[in-house]
Amino acid sequence: MAATMRLEARGVSKTFGSTTVLRNAELEVAPGEIHALIGQNGSGKSTLVKILTGYHTPDAGATISVDGQDLDLPVRWSEATDAGVSVVHQDLGLLDHLSVSENIGIGGFPYHPVTRRIDWKAQDAAARRVLDRLDVPIQPQDPVGPLNAMRRAEVAIARALRDQRQGEGLVILDEATRSLPREELRRFHELLRKVVAEGTSILLVSHNLKEVLELADRVTVLRDGVVAAAGIPTAGLTEQDLARHMLGKTVEAVGRSERGTGHTEVAARVEGLRADTLEALSFEVRRGEVVGLTGLPGSGFEAVAQLITGGRQPAGGVLTTAAGSVDLSRADVAACMRLGAALVPEKRILEGLAVELSIRDNIAIPSIRRRGRPWHVARRWQEDEARSSIRRLGIRSRSPHMLIKELSGGNQQKVLFAKWLSVEPDLLVLHEPTQAVDVGARVDILRAIVETASRGVGVLLVSIEPSDLAEVCDRILVHSHAGDLRELRTEDPDEVLHAIYSESALTAGGTTHD
Amino acid sequence: MTDSQTKSSAERLSEQTGLAERIITDTGQPEQQTARPRRVTLRSQYEPAWLHTLTSKYALVLVWAAMALVYYILMPTRFGSWGAFSSIFGSQQVLVFLAMSAMITLVVGEFDLSIASVMGISATLVPVLAGVHGWNVWIACLVALGVCLVAGAVNAFFVVVMDVSSFVVTLGTGTLLIGLAQMISGSNIVSVNSPELSKIAIHELLGMPVSFYYGILLAVVIAYILGWTPLGRSMIFVGANPEVARLAGIRVQRIRAGAYLAGSLLAGLAGVILVATVGGFDSSTSATYLLPALAAVFLGTAVVQPGMFNPIGTIIAIYFLTTGIFGLQLLGFSGWIQNVFYGAGLVVAVTLAKVVRDRSKTD
Repeated sequence: MAATMRLEARGVSKTFGSTTVLRNAELEVAPGEIHALIGQNGSGKSTLVKILTGYHTPDAGATISVDGQDLDLPVRWSEATDAGVSVVHQDLGLLDHLSVSENIGIGGFPYHPVTRRIDWKAQDAAARRVLDRLDVPIQPQDPVGPLNAMRRAEVAIARALRDQRQGEGLVILDEATRSLPREELRRFHELLRKVVAEGTSILLVSHNLKEVLELADRVTVLRDGVVAAAGIPTAGLTEQDLARHMLGKTVEAVGRSERGTGHTEVAARVEGLRADTLEALSFEVRRGEVVGLTGLPGSGFEAVAQLITGGRQPAGGVLTTAAGSVDLSRADVAACMRLGAALVPEKRILEGLAVELSIRDNIAIPSIRRRGRPWHVARRWQEDEARSSIRRLGIRSRSPHMLIKELSGGNQQKVLFAKWLSVEPDLLVLHEPTQAVDVGARVDILRAIVETASRGVGVLLVSIEPSDLAEVCDRILVHSHAGDLRELRTEDPDEVLHAIYSESALTAGGTTHD
Repeated sequence: MTDSQTKSSAERLSEQTGLAERIITDTGQPEQQTARPRRVTLRSQYEPAWLHTLTSKYALVLVWAAMALVYYILMPTRFGSWGAFSSIFGSQQVLVFLAMSAMITLVVGEFDLSIASVMGISATLVPVLAGVHGWNVWIACLVALGVCLVAGAVNAFFVVVMDVSSFVVTLGTGTLLIGLAQMISGSNIVSVNSPELSKIAIHELLGMPVSFYYGILLAVVIAYILGWTPLGRSMIFVGANPEVARLAGIRVQRIRAGAYLAGSLLAGLAGVILVATVGGFDSSTSATYLLPALAAVFLGTAVVQPGMFNPIGTIIAIYFLTTGIFGLQLLGFSGWIQNVFYGAGLVVAVTLAKVVRDRSKTD
């Protein structure tokens, strides 16, 4: 391409201590294109973005230029902004208690040249202009707090476009679509297409391969710090192609081998579970079985994960396992653990793992009372348990003493999984276990789920990921609007999606399961 | 893909502060799978593993040794004497107990600013009850400790049950207790003359007052509890992330409340030892004990288990600070040097420890 590139980064390397996380990476983004940057966790993708935004200093020898103009390295954010680069982070970075206009203006309020007082009128006008440009029907004075996910994303985009002249500039979307509900994604994609149609470029950093294929014109793939595919056009590619570039090998679907029907014993039974939006749910999970539980996001089925493991108390409900039964409205986590029920919670950083502590400590903590004595807990088994978990789940770490915060997201998720496997549960409840992990880690986790079930554990997978559910579940319970559960047996993700979103499919889809 | 409406406030907070993202950063790089030339630096070549451990975990001990050496060279007779040794190691028992008291609450993620006042009320009650009112000295001690436990329970009630900020509650109860101590003592220096009480503290054993060994024993016991018992491991998880601890089946509220009670009891014991050692107490001086104790605990995070509150590190920090001040006093600096040294030592040492830790992480 003869035309000057919007962004051109060449020979970018980054070394931390003695580890090279990025070697000689290149990235070219043409004007007016959506360019995707993908790679597994730990592939150097976020390091590259952080170098572009000046958070990290690249090793010597790198050049980064915008519209043909070389930037000084390390990138100074003010210089990059002047050249038209802006970023939308995955958390969108909005302040709830401020107005739309204030959120759009942050970091670059127009002010009076003498008194340096913020010129609110000019700020509101600027916000108005950029909102109009995007056809977003919100007022600059609206508070951001009550806005829904889609509107929030629009405000974040508006902020990114604030200082850019129409048809110029580069917006880096760093996993920014993660917070959007599935049904809003299409509208958000339209918004992005509108932005690039004017000539602005977008660098899309994403885990969602489907989104990448749908949206991006070209894609750059990083693998282990090296560019595995440089700016290849997405036309004609499949998700498998992308995954192959990311992993360097093909991913086979996890698939369920027909597990022996010998395990017909019930691992756990939940009866009469009542909470806010749930009315008298009952279901059972057999030994060796993976049962999916899904429904419309926000309909309340997600709470089941915590409600049946003591994380939160329902209004009523009984959990029965081989070890006995307990009234869930009065049971805490310890009581449910005694019955053999364990929860792998959804938010690994907030609920799952203590990030300042080591892999070993995190894996050992739920077993410490059971396997230790009140006056002494040996270190040996903790060490062994951590090592065997690292081996079994393929956790990438140097030692069991590595801190959780030093691991990448996918590896943290594996540690979280290992933590709850180590208590040898009868019922393992997993809540969105593959959220925000890359393809490789996802396959490892799904495979570990199947393997866990084959050892006689009953697994309940609470998730809104149709492909996960279809891939590993023996049967899927769909929580309907009416509040009852319907059973579905399928290996087709589209059928799961269909069952979740359409009532008609629900009635046709399967048998009522009380 | 979570619906934003269903997000908890904690999650929103973490999203806004970018916590979740910051934690998943670049240090989680993949292990090298192909053999790559390992970057050989001067440091990696000449620094054996044991030396690395020494510099990253025990740097404060090295500084301590260097400081002692300098003092010894400057004042070979005065600093090198047994007298100097026993005045450094035999004089800090009260601080050891008080620092352990502060540490227990800090470990579980709480902040107790009232410990010095709790110590003060105990050190006031014992001489008032035993000296002024003529009670049996042991009963006076038990009553004083009981009052301290009540103070701890009050803190626990407001912080754990009512969920009020621990800073606010303990600042309040701390101030209140100083007032009570002044009321009981009539704002006078109170004293008690009890040989049996002072014997438990200043009885000599191997040339050191017996209470020195109490302090060491206490630190070792707490270190054992934290490292090798279910209770201690649970405490550390409660401190690291209460929600994670709760979902691991730990009774978080009970542990938080227990930490306040245990902390107050230790502060009460510090008061008893204080009275036993010096025979009396001026209740208006209570507050001056707080900062040294906190300084020692935080300085302790720079050694043994860097980045974590740990009792052995706290002991090392206390005697490091004492050695520094004692030497400076021998060199002729007067009382002000204590605060200057405590303050500067705390900031410099903890900063250095953090720098060393950050640098060694990616190695």
